Amino acid sequence: MATTNSYQRYHIDTIPTPDFVPWPNKFDVKVNRPQLAKLLISEIIHLKGDMKAVTSRPCMYGTFSGPIGGFAPRPEHCVGCLRCTVQHPKMVTITRNADRERLGDSYFTSAYVDAVSYEADTGSIPVKGAGYRGKFGGEGWDGMWTDMSEIVRPTRDGIHGREFISTVVDIGEKPSYLIFNDNGEITSAKPRILSIPVPFIYDAPPASAASSTLNEILARAASETQTLAVMPIDGDEWSVVSDQLPVQSIVPLIKLGDESTIEHLGFTPSMVEIDISDDPNSNFQNLISSIQSQFPDTIIAVRLPYDDPDNLLKLYEIGVRVFHLFADFHGRGQDGRFVLDLIREAHLTFVEAGTRDEVTLIGSGGIIAAEHVPKAIITGLDLIALDTPLLVALQAQFEGDCANRKTSQFAMPKNLPLDWGIQRLKNLTATWRDQLLEILGAMGLREVRRLRGEIGRAMFQVDLEREAFAEIEGYLVEAGD
Amino acid sequence: MTEEIQVHLPAIEKHVEHLRQGFSYWPTLENGMPPALGDYRWPAELILSTWYQAGTGEPPVNELEYRSGDSGGGFDKLDFKFLPEGDQLPPDAEVDLAIPLNSSGFGREIEIAVPWYGGGMSFGSVSEQVMLARSMAAKEWGTFTCTGEGGYPDSLVEFKDHIITQIATGMFGVREETIQHAPIVEFKYAQGAKPGLGGHLLGDKTTVTVAKMRESVPWVSLFSPFPFHSVYSVEDHRKHVDWVKTINPEALVSVKVSTPTDVDMVAVGSFYAGAHIVHLDGSYGGTGAAPEIAKKNIAMPIEFAIPKVHKYLQSENIRDEITVMASGGVRTAYDIAKAIALGADGVVLGTAELIAIGCTRCSNCERGRGCPFGLTTTDPELSLLIDPQWGAKRISNLNASYAKQLRDILRRLGLKSIRDLRGRTDLLVYLNT
Ligand code: SF4
Ligand code: SF4
Repeated sequence: MATTNSYQRYHIDTIPTPDFVPWPNKFDVKVNRPQLAKLLISEIIHLKGDMKAVTSRPCMYGTFSGPIGGFAPRPEHCVGCLRCTVQHPKMVTITRNADRERLGDSYFTSAYVDAVSYEADTGSIPVKGAGYRGKFGGEGWDGMWTDMSEIVRPTRDGIHGREFISTVVDIGEKPSYLIFNDNGEITSAKPRILSIPVPFIYDAPPASAASSTLNEILARAASETQTLAVMPIDGDEWSVVSDQLPVQSIVPLIKLGDESTIEHLGFTPSMVEIDISDDPNSNFQNLISSIQSQFPDTIIAVRLPYDDPDNLLKLYEIGVRVFHLFADFHGRGQDGRFVLDLIREAHLTFVEAGTRDEVTLIGSGGIIAAEHVPKAIITGLDLIALDTPLLVALQAQFEGDCANRKTSQFAMPKNLPLDWGIQRLKNLTATWRDQLLEILGAMGLREVRRLRGEIGRAMFQVDLEREAFAEIEGYLVEAGD
Repeated sequence: MTEEIQVHLPAIEKHVEHLRQGFSYWPTLENGMPPALGDYRWPAELILSTWYQAGTGEPPVNELEYRSGDSGGGFDKLDFKFLPEGDQLPPDAEVDLAIPLNSSGFGREIEIAVPWYGGGMSFGSVSEQVMLARSMAAKEWGTFTCTGEGGYPDSLVEFKDHIITQIATGMFGVREETIQHAPIVEFKYAQGAKPGLGGHLLGDKTTVTVAKMRESVPWVSLFSPFPFHSVYSVEDHRKHVDWVKTINPEALVSVKVSTPTDVDMVAVGSFYAGAHIVHLDGSYGGTGAAPEIAKKNIAMPIEFAIPKVHKYLQSENIRDEITVMASGGVRTAYDIAKAIALGADGVVLGTAELIAIGCTRCSNCERGRGCPFGLTTTDPELSLLIDPQWGAKRISNLNASYAKQLRDILRRLGLKSIRDLRGRTDLLVYLNT
């Protein structure tokens, strides 16, 4: 997190960390046993007792390799290749397991759950053959593509040039100029700023998931990946836990009215987040002053919903420079707009005021896949505060639809092992960063900071479709817009 | 063709027999459809109808959908405005499907009998049997297939007049003689499924034979970096073309590019650098392994890139001097016709050919020993599941069905040549459903 004098390439150690709680298999395998018995008998006859050929099974993945073969299939091995059912249509039936498809909720669908689980398990980028399988486009993130260059790459060094891309982002005050005296000394206030090597931090878990173990997992994983974990502070407990936790990675989250708790902190935080969402227009300047007098070098972020751009400018006026803007877990603002529009509005509010480069915009809510990170940054965020993906990486179960941050119910696995959880989050962080590198590399960009607000590096379905299809009969403006 | 491992042929023969029965049986729908088969782009019906066409050479006669998928956009949002029956060409009217691949007015003239050829699939990413099957079918149909970036197995040399040699950034398997063989040389700048990312053959797939072909070390991962380290500009590309022309002055040059926002400029640049063909590869296709994040998110779908390029080349007054081939999600005869109506001259097929010879689109190509159907694998035992003659017949049958449907589409539009369909967006209708 802190700047260093010597160059060190940022790296997260990934270690395969399989699921802790068994999740439903992806596929169900049903075998018609009488048919199988008949087949075996006929093969013994036709293959003249060549048992090597008779017992040669269609499945390469071990589903029929248990002690009694296809008579007791092992669906946990099935990867859905369908070779068995193609070969034996009346004997084997492969279905997608409905229980598996129920994981997640209406926004964080089971396909996203599968992707995040794979990433947290392996630390690897999901790679598959046979092209894209999904819908053509869609709303929100799905109606947006990122650009690439045919010949430009980030650098001519390394195999792909990706090796040297920086994913460092800065959080804090970024004054547009400094004031020097005649002796060349800076006389303006020293900006409070820190750099982290990845454009994501870990957001505070919702109440239903929170526990001291989860806090510890978040804090330690944040520390090992050199990022930050936002954490609600709960009175006196803090002075106790802070002894055991890597405090430099912890961002205490203070609610209005809980100001006194800051006094009990047993450490100097790099950053503090003040949650003003219950009363975004309240006057909390005194709180800022008191935190600043207690911790002069600490960065202060303000946490509030996206929806009120005018308020952002008012907060800027009173000195706020770091904004953590949140939508609900489904990426919707209070007025129902999707987070993509909300980010854009916040970003442009500062662009139009001429102050965008002086502030840091952190966003959370609705960013649930690796590809959403570059898209959110292109739209205008500096960095992301990860929320539900962290829970999914730790195998949280959604209880019903989990949109509302306050009321959503997540069931965390019981007896969550600390080391397992830390490694799962490290794996997730590593693979999301790697995927960001893929996107940046394809664009020929050498640092993520240059991606912020670069809307020209995105293509939107509504624009592309209008350009391509407008002259086709039946294409309505409404269809494209 | 076999290496290291001893295979037990009776077991292979048993599986081959059952598989072939399955490919014929499932499209009859007697047992319904396999419940776990298919996805939005290739729904189960489209896969089964492709198996049907590969088996019979005809479009299905039962209710199986064979024209479009279920993706909710692009080709699946377009249909044709056919003429009233009385205005259509008679059923026996001659309809020409041939397209020229060199419109520059200089050099060798090459025409293909149908408006498609096969896309690059490298030795290593697919088996030699699959390459052979594709080459045989290309020969039969008077068109081409492409080596991909993995070398040129000796068994392919007899089909050299129907094989495009690909040169990609790793230069794997590129030798003077493979360029000399080639009627067309394709420079792969980028590919739609992983635009801007380069290629990666996992160590497990770099068998002794693959390594020999690629002149590399067995069992070591091979990277094709992105992009060409020697090309910074259109002028640099021109040097590439000159280099090929020195070795094979007769060869046509194709430039395979992805679909960035400035794909129209890229096409114009390719033209001025001496390309005869610009091959646009959209983001939704591809047969090889690619990061999921790239397939869905980087670069635009081909349906948007084709009209963009077509119109820009028209505005530059060079549209009739370069051939535009499109790929990346062209699944059916109807998709071929739609791509041409949007402005392409022809298309490049990949996935449809693999489905014809048994692909279920299960996406397990990179897992373990590779494709369980013997397609995207170098496993000596699994490769034997595909007999090249059988594969060639299946691909030829699919071609026959496509050709039949294309003729029917043109006839119903009152057109005598596929060349007359190019850019005719007035014959399309957008489905607002
Ligand atoms: S579908 Fe494939 S992986 Fe699953 S049991 Fe059948 S052969 Fe094995
Ligand atoms: S592994 Fe699956 S998707 Fe890949 S080629 Fe084989 S059948 Fe097709």
